[in-house]
Amino acid sequence: MSITKNRKVVLGFTLCADPAREPCFKVAQTDEEMTSWEGTNSEIVRREKLHRHMNNETGAMEIAAQCLADFPDAPWELRMHLARQTSDESRHVSSLYRRLKELGGYKGEFPVGNFEWCVTNLCDTLAARLAIQNRTFEAGQMDLLGTLRNTWRAVGDETTAEVLEHILADEVNHVRFANQWIKRMIHEDRRLLLKVAMAMRLLAEAQVATSLAKSEGSAPNGKAKEEKHVGLSVNVEDRRHADFSEAEIDEILRQSGMGSIAETARGD
Amino acid sequence: MGLTVREKAEYLGTFRWLEVFQMEMLARWIPQVPELEAKVLMGRHVWDFAQHADALGKRTFELRAPLHYTLPPLAPYVKLMRDFAEVETTAERLYVFYNVILPALELRYRHYLKNTDELLDDPSVRVVQRILEDNARLRRESEQLRAELKDFRLADLDGSKEWAKEEAAFIQIVSHGTGSTLARGANA
Repeated sequence: MSITKNRKVVLGFTLCADPAREPCFKVAQTDEEMTSWEGTNSEIVRREKLHRHMNNETGAMEIAAQCLADFPDAPWELRMHLARQTSDESRHVSSLYRRLKELGGYKGEFPVGNFEWCVTNLCDTLAARLAIQNRTFEAGQMDLLGTLRNTWRAVGDETTAEVLEHILADEVNHVRFANQWIKRMIHEDRRLLLKVAMAMRLLAEAQVATSLAKSEGSAPNGKAKEEKHVGLSVNVEDRRHADFSEAEIDEILRQSGMGSIAETARGD
Repeated sequence: MGLTVREKAEYLGTFRWLEVFQMEMLARWIPQVPELEAKVLMGRHVWDFAQHADALGKRTFELRAPLHYTLPPLAPYVKLMRDFAEVETTAERLYVFYNVILPALELRYRHYLKNTDELLDDPSVRVVQRILEDNARLRRESEQLRAELKDFRLADLDGSKEWAKEEAAFIQIVSHGTGSTLARGANA
């Protein structure tokens, strides 16, 4: 039986049960159980951000791997992308863990949340999982990283900024292949459009019910916790690289309260 | 006489099945193992097995079989592989994967190299040789991890040696067709 069949209930909302974590990790189920501080200057704040990001990348690796396990009949070319993504996310975990240790941190130092895994794996189609994880969470991550790399540089941490630059480059590829394959799959089977729409609605409901996604730092449309600290902006250039259409980017800008930028970009 | 074109496609199609099986085995284990270092090791290696399967699948097409022709091994061998996939602790998983399955597959690849014509089948030979180089690296990386983290070492080595014996008991694992029928048209 697939591990994704296991369930848990958080604040009355049914989600997939968490993936396995070592006893050193405290797995948060609600926003209140997470830890965060204001600003980016102090060492503990930097370590907490790296620790949170490390677990987030672990979840991304697990989701891509679970797609390989759960959808053996998916087109081979798409499975190759998922295998590559699994490997990329693994490298991201290692690079963040290395940096965490360089800053004196250790695994389990802070609580972690697995919202992305818990909501994405509720979906029973690959298109829906790609829509939630790659096209939404990872695209939000692109926006976040587009801002955070400069935030780390501003506080003099060029090493962490460079780690994030490399991660961002990989994430663009993950979002792009998902965008391309979702379109292709829907073109071949229009019923999947409904599945994807239902998945996005499920995600919105889960976020409202649990509010944990925001604290993980990669919520849809970049509505991340860091937003209030660093003035998060939509990463338009990388969203274009990731094959979002101009209309989709305009919509994201509007949702982020930056509709005037969309009009300027279009030359209106 | 060496292997026929059809037999070569059947061997490579079977190897492809095993490479995909290994990719899926690691992929399934990644969310199930608690230890971060084990997840990361498996995550990195998933991509290696995908690339092996891809190269083999492209070569089968050149041997007049379908693109990405994938032939399951004989049923008892499939069952053995599925039994291996059911081990539960991280130490067992690392051992059965890197110390039983990978070395066993290496022997079967070397057997293929010994039996094929290096000149006529040069593209297959290159694919297999690259896989063997990769597999040596994968095993080395797993050994390094287990040298660093003693919890990942298997306590009951005697019991685990039985796994290797069970695997070695299978002399032939490829399900060959009969006559001059090409592999083309078989299930891929």
